[in-house]
Amino acid sequence: MRRTDVVVAGVALCGCAIAFGLTYRFDTMPAAMVSGLGAEVFPRLVIGVIAFLAVLAAFGIGNPPMETPAPVPRMVWMTAAVLFAFVGAVALIGMWPAAIVFLVGLGLLWGERSVWKLSASALVLCAALYGLFVRVLGGNFPKGLIANLWS
Amino acid sequence: MDAFFAGLTAVADPQILFLVFAGTVLGVVVGALPGISGSTTTALLLPLTIAMTPNAAIAFLGSIYCAANFGGSITAILINTPGDPSASATAFDGYPLAKRGEAGRALGMSAVASAIGGIFSVIVLIIFAPVLARLAYQFGPPEYFALALFGLSMVAAVGGDSPVKNLMAAASGVLIATVGLDLTTGVERFAFGMPALSDGIGFIPVLIGLFAIAELLERASQRGVVQEYIKLNAVKLPTLADFRKCAKAISVSSVIGTFIGILPALGATTAALICYNETKRWSKHKEEFGKGAIEGVAGPEAANNAAVGGAMVPTLALGIPGSTTTAIILAGLLVQGVRPGPHLFNEQPTLLYVVFGSMLVANLLYLILGLGAAKIFARIALIPEAFLWPAVFILSVVGAYAPNQAMEDVVIMLLFGVVGFLFRRYGFSPAPLIMGLVLGKMVEETLKQSLLIFDQDWTLFFARPVVVTLFLITAAGLLAPSLYRAWRRLRRVQAGNGV
Repeated sequence: MRRTDVVVAGVALCGCAIAFGLTYRFDTMPAAMVSGLGAEVFPRLVIGVIAFLAVLAAFGIGNPPMETPAPVPRMVWMTAAVLFAFVGAVALIGMWPAAIVFLVGLGLLWGERSVWKLSASALVLCAALYGLFVRVLGGNFPKGLIANLWS
Repeated sequence: MDAFFAGLTAVADPQILFLVFAGTVLGVVVGALPGISGSTTTALLLPLTIAMTPNAAIAFLGSIYCAANFGGSITAILINTPGDPSASATAFDGYPLAKRGEAGRALGMSAVASAIGGIFSVIVLIIFAPVLARLAYQFGPPEYFALALFGLSMVAAVGGDSPVKNLMAAASGVLIATVGLDLTTGVERFAFGMPALSDGIGFIPVLIGLFAIAELLERASQRGVVQEYIKLNAVKLPTLADFRKCAKAISVSSVIGTFIGILPALGATTAALICYNETKRWSKHKEEFGKGAIEGVAGPEAANNAAVGGAMVPTLALGIPGSTTTAIILAGLLVQGVRPGPHLFNEQPTLLYVVFGSMLVANLLYLILGLGAAKIFARIALIPEAFLWPAVFILSVVGAYAPNQAMEDVVIMLLFGVVGFLFRRYGFSPAPLIMGLVLGKMVEETLKQSLLIFDQDWTLFFARPVVVTLFLITAAGLLAPSLYRAWRRLRRVQAGNGV
């Protein structure tokens, strides 16, 4: 048994236990109204299958043994943080200003040195997307807290 | 035949023709971008189709699917980085050819072989999809349940050599498909009282997250890797001698590629890798392979494009995806309210023939584009990642948000992006999860309907010959790799003992 396989299987089994527990929180139907399988039966069946496969994976059955992957590089954490920060920025300043700030910010983080080039490409992309999704398709994107307070 | 001409008429509609052209150009362009596969392209552009009619949407998505495989070969040949995983086998000989100064010859052969494979498979699709649909027309819920299980079991063979992990991912997809209201009882499941989850988790944010966002995070972990770019002097048609040399490779690979494509869950990447080996096995010049054999480009390229048409056969005739990209196209059709399956051939024949017509036109279009403008498309690979991937993220956000105008979908996309990144890191493939998600509802519905028909007697499944046959094939498919490995181990032990 390899440590990584056991960890992966352990995480999967924990997920299964939580999901199985959640099936007990489904609303119950009067027995007379239930014809056939109840709402909880199928998910439990699937959870059972995942748990069985996780046990097989823990013992290395059906999978080649897995080496421990190298640590996640710092750049991945920073990029992921920027992606989630973008959602907060949208809520605050709105979709399109947040998109321009993001395009320039992530570009700089990923090693581009020319802010002008990044800004120009960000403006062109956002204008194109705004034209297509807002003007042509009639979409309505978040304006942000600040714009809402202003208006 | 009437429907066929109706389909061609529909494709001749200027709007549809424009969408086929746009889909083909986008497919080649985005397919040429390293890291953005045909599946990612289709997932990213899926939200655009929501505003379209089903005919226009399927023509657009079908064209992207056809063209992305060819686009992937451009970067495989020029920078040894397949734009699409299905072009990975093309790089084995395409890149050495390019290094030898014959990039144009390799790209020319890639375009021609791709178009021949693609057109052959569309002809097979036109002939066999209606036949398969006619057979499946007799199917009831138990047969569909068995068929969906068979489709899911096939994912064990997809995405690397971890069948158990693939099955775990597929089952997780099925579990995710149970989120929301249970249609038979009206009970809410795993929705935590959140209105956004009551209707279930949308396909589009999950698809974009698993493919585009996960790939973005993957790219973040590879920052600083410098790619060597080879100059493309000219794109020239392969010579008659090249054609003669590759004719067998192209024809054999077209047939094998189409057949592999038809098998549920097995797609273009598997077809290309198998056909590379087959081309080498059948070649009179085995020693050239790996060093720049033109047949090594022709075989996999014919195969991966042939798999495209093949994969559409079960998708349209049975509603079982033939590959990851067809799973995304299937999701797109479901979002449009169209459920592919045998009934489509009677109810909406025009839609099906729009698929056939648009795929034929797309194959011809990328042949012209490939031969005439590969030099321009090759430049796309030079876009710096610091510009490309942030732009992909914004496209992803807009794509995930637009269908329901909900930021919750963007958060779901991000969460599935992280899941996709962790999946790849720990040896799981996201493709089976997509299969499970798309087929999940079908598995549950058909199981419940079957049990109602059988009056809750599970043993009656085994009273239906088609169901039993499909169960046996499923079991054989699941057990065969393990049994084969055990047999090989036994042979090695016997050989070691001198038996």
